[in-house]
Amino acid sequence: MAYDFRKASVLIVEDNQPMIELIRSVVNTFGFREIHVARDGDEGFETFCRFNPDLVISDWMMTPTNGIEMAHKIRQHPSSPNKFVPIILLTGYSQKKRVIEARDRGITEFIVKPFKVHHLYRRIENIVEVPRQFVDATEFFGPDRRRKKVSDYNGPFRRERDEEERSRKEQMVHSEDNLYKEIIRQQKIEEERARTYHDPLVIDFEEDDDDR
Amino acid sequence: MTDESNGKARFYNPPNLLKQKVGSGGLGKDILEKAQRLLEENKIDFKPIAYTYMDALHAGLELAYNPPANVRKEKLLEGLLNPIMQLKANGGMFHYSLVSRISDRMIIFLENLATPDKDAQEIIQAYYTTITAILQSNLKGDGGKEGENLYLAICEACDRYCRKHR
Repeated sequence: MAYDFRKASVLIVEDNQPMIELIRSVVNTFGFREIHVARDGDEGFETFCRFNPDLVISDWMMTPTNGIEMAHKIRQHPSSPNKFVPIILLTGYSQKKRVIEARDRGITEFIVKPFKVHHLYRRIENIVEVPRQFVDATEFFGPDRRRKKVSDYNGPFRRERDEEERSRKEQMVHSEDNLYKEIIRQQKIEEERARTYHDPLVIDFEEDDDDR
Repeated sequence: MTDESNGKARFYNPPNLLKQKVGSGGLGKDILEKAQRLLEENKIDFKPIAYTYMDALHAGLELAYNPPANVRKEKLLEGLLNPIMQLKANGGMFHYSLVSRISDRMIIFLENLATPDKDAQEIIQAYYTTITAILQSNLKGDGGKEGENLYLAICEACDRYCRKHR
């Protein structure tokens, strides 16, 4: 069994045509067949309302309406057909204040450009396998901004660094600093995984693939 | 959909529509590798894209050199930051990872800058000249030793500024 994206739809919102083509080719390779495209946040919201896609992948900086303004509209506007839709934001910004700004506007996942395929895949996999609770507070509506402990595994560990990882996760506090550090750390780990792709000792997701 | 309230906020567990449609099992290594190859082997020419952002950066620099009386410093900084962010975001996607690396350093510098003063403008001008040289000489990838030296020169300029203005 593997993911079958043929019945799922995705909306790409991006103002750079070559980047649209790249993202389209990647999601098409993943298996998506229904791929919608819009070139700014306004067109993105219109397209979203028209087709109600299962996933939105959006750039941040676009004019006249940017990606997080569009995300806010998707989360809040009365005519939005699905306020819970997962939204992945792609941007060249990686500074903490930017991540927090995006998170506060209802973004589900954040990817720093330039990105690799496994960055995008991991975010989609997160959305499918560990969806986040939604919070409706007076000043915010969107995915729960607190990151939860990823694993409750309490058994023996094969490698020393697994133990370090567990203790790091246990020490995670639900703070803005940790959210930011976690996003950047995950992206670095994924880059390292990609570099050492043929080492079976370090590629956890290859082992996972064998299990699937 | 399930929901609960703690008195201040309501929590929802919306139906996982994507999961319902795609099932389980993840994607195979072969699909991810194929997608990565598509990403890496794209034939898109980065230079026309880059020059668009370089023009925007040039305009941002002009504005910083001669700011109108009523312009906010945040506006001046955004005019510099946005095109550099775009160069960073796109460079690495289209075979110019050195452009991304140097731009990333410039973004960190600008994000911590209170106002684009004369010293900062010189550094941004040096960045502009460096990126122009990289594009003109088609210095793709990390640029090897030459790329490393260009990166270190920008880092050193930023560090000097920080020491002087700390």
